[in-house]
Parts: sequence; C-alpha cells; structure tokens
Amino acid sequence: MKHLIYIAFLFLSVNIFSQSKYLTKTGTVGFEASVPSFEEVKASNNSVTAIINTDNGEFAALVLVKGFRFKNALMEEHFNENYAESDTYPKAAFKGKIEDFQLASLSNTNMSFKISGELSFHGKTKQFHNLDVEISKENDVINLMGSFKTLASYFDIKIPKIVKNKIAEDIQVFYDFKLKKK
Amino acid sequence: MRKYIILIVLLILAIIGYNYIYQEHRNIEAEPPEFTLSSESLFNQFVENASDSEKKYLNKTIEVSGVITELDKSNLVLNEKVFCQFQNLNNKNISKSITIKIKGRFIGYDELLEEVKLDQCVILNH
Repeated sequence: MKHLIYIAFLFLSVNIFSQSKYLTKTGTVGFEASVPSFEEVKASNNSVTAIINTDNGEFAALVLVKGFRFKNALMEEHFNENYAESDTYPKAAFKGKIEDFQLASLSNTNMSFKISGELSFHGKTKQFHNLDVEISKENDVINLMGSFKTLASYFDIKIPKIVKNKIAEDIQVFYDFKLKKK
Repeated sequence: MRKYIILIVLLILAIIGYNYIYQEHRNIEAEPPEFTLSSESLFNQFVENASDSEKKYLNKTIEVSGVITELDKSNLVLNEKVFCQFQNLNNKNISKSITIKIKGRFIGYDELLEEVKLDQCVILNH
C-alpha cells in the first residue's frame, strides 16, 4: 500500500515537472497614440517578461512601466509623471488564455489564435476578449505577436484639454515575444 | 533700438523653449550611482519587502556587482537574481561565471520570475 502511494507521488511530481513553460525576459511591448501631422507619441519597452504554459495556453506578461522609452525625453518624463504615474503604479500586467492552443500544431508560419484576458495598468483592470494573436514556432522558440486598440479612459488616464489634439484617445498597443523553452 | 532688444529676447526665449522641449535623455553612464551594492544584498531587500524596496530604488542609477549566471546578446543575469539590459554586449569579452560590476537604472521587480530588472546598463569592470 505504501509503495502505491509513493508511486502515485512519483507520477504526480513527474507531472508537475513536465509542465512545459516557454518564457522571455526581453519581450517587446509598445504603444502609439499619435495624431497625424503632430509629433509622434510612441514608446516601446524591450524588457518585458512573458510566460506561456504550453499545456493549456495560459499566458502572462509583466511590463515595468519605467522601461518605456520615447524618442523625446520630455515626453517620456510627462508620460511617467502625469499619465502613467509610474512611481505609484510601476507595473502593468496581462494575464489570460489562448483559445485552442496546441504546441504540436505550431509551425514556422504564422497561425492566428484568439486570446482573452485581463490587462491591468495605472491601477485599473480591463477585460479583453478574443484579441487576434499570431503565433509561430521555429526550433525551440515560440514567436507570439499582435496588436490591439484600447482607450486611455479605460485606464483612467486623463488627457488634458491643452494637448487633446496632439494625443489620440484610442491607443494602438503592439507586442512581440520570442519565448524560449525553460 | 527697442526693436532689436525685443527681437533678441524673443530669440533667446525660442532657444530656451526649444532646448526644454527637445532636451536630452538621461545619460545613466555619466550619472554617479546613488547606491552601490552586491546583487545578493539588493535582491534580499526584495525578499524582505518588495514594495518598499521598489519605491526606494525605482528609476535610480545603481551600481551592482555579482557573478554572471546567464549571458545573451544584449542582456545578462547576475547571481540568477539581477537582470541587466544593455544596448549591446558584443565584443565585450565577458563570459559566464565571472564576477563583474555594472551600472544601470533600476526599473522594477519582476515577481513572475523573482528578478530585479535594470536597463541602460554599462559594464564598469571585470
């Protein structure tokens, strides 16, 4: 009887370890809220951590807000101080699930999947449903990329009247993750 | 005469305004570090209290020493706990398991992987 329990535990632990995760520490997340004919309002962050559980398609990403870099230093300062308030809210995170994800079905050409989950930023959390995501796999690297639109107001970010014509209210968010097997 | 004075004042204001709007980015490489410590002692502060430590270091230039445990094209990890991002690490003549001192900007604590993250890093010596 004891042996059976040991064997059961052994299987259990093997099962835990076989859980396959792919991750990156240098993923890219960017956004753009530019208005034509004004200076571009665009930033990207190249030190995003992202993890995917290839057994069930669960996906998580963590963005350190201070890591967003703008071309214009003053814009970067204003973004951190007045819009994202990154001293108070230093992190943005996404947690979700890719529908019908199967590691074996991936190839080196992009395949379209749907991802749903919640994005938290600036102390607010917003649900997103069925966003398109392109996934491919080459050797041991899963490449996950896509973009979606969101609104500054979803995250309680107020754009002052004086710059309202220079910053778009709808923001294009783009991401690119090259996840390696852990 | 007055015309010229007004013109010069306007010109100076325009230059000041331009320099304000198009000011340069922080140069972490040229900044003196506000904290100098080992990667273990930095990380241990986050084990004790992640949110207070994050406030203490956020956006600060710090100098960290440790052993390289992971090495990639533009980033390395010290003692499996401190992630450092560089512009470029090619031709830097460094390898795993050597001790190194770097300077960079603290951008936050990654609780998914339990790592401290720095960007705009430069190598000080090894």
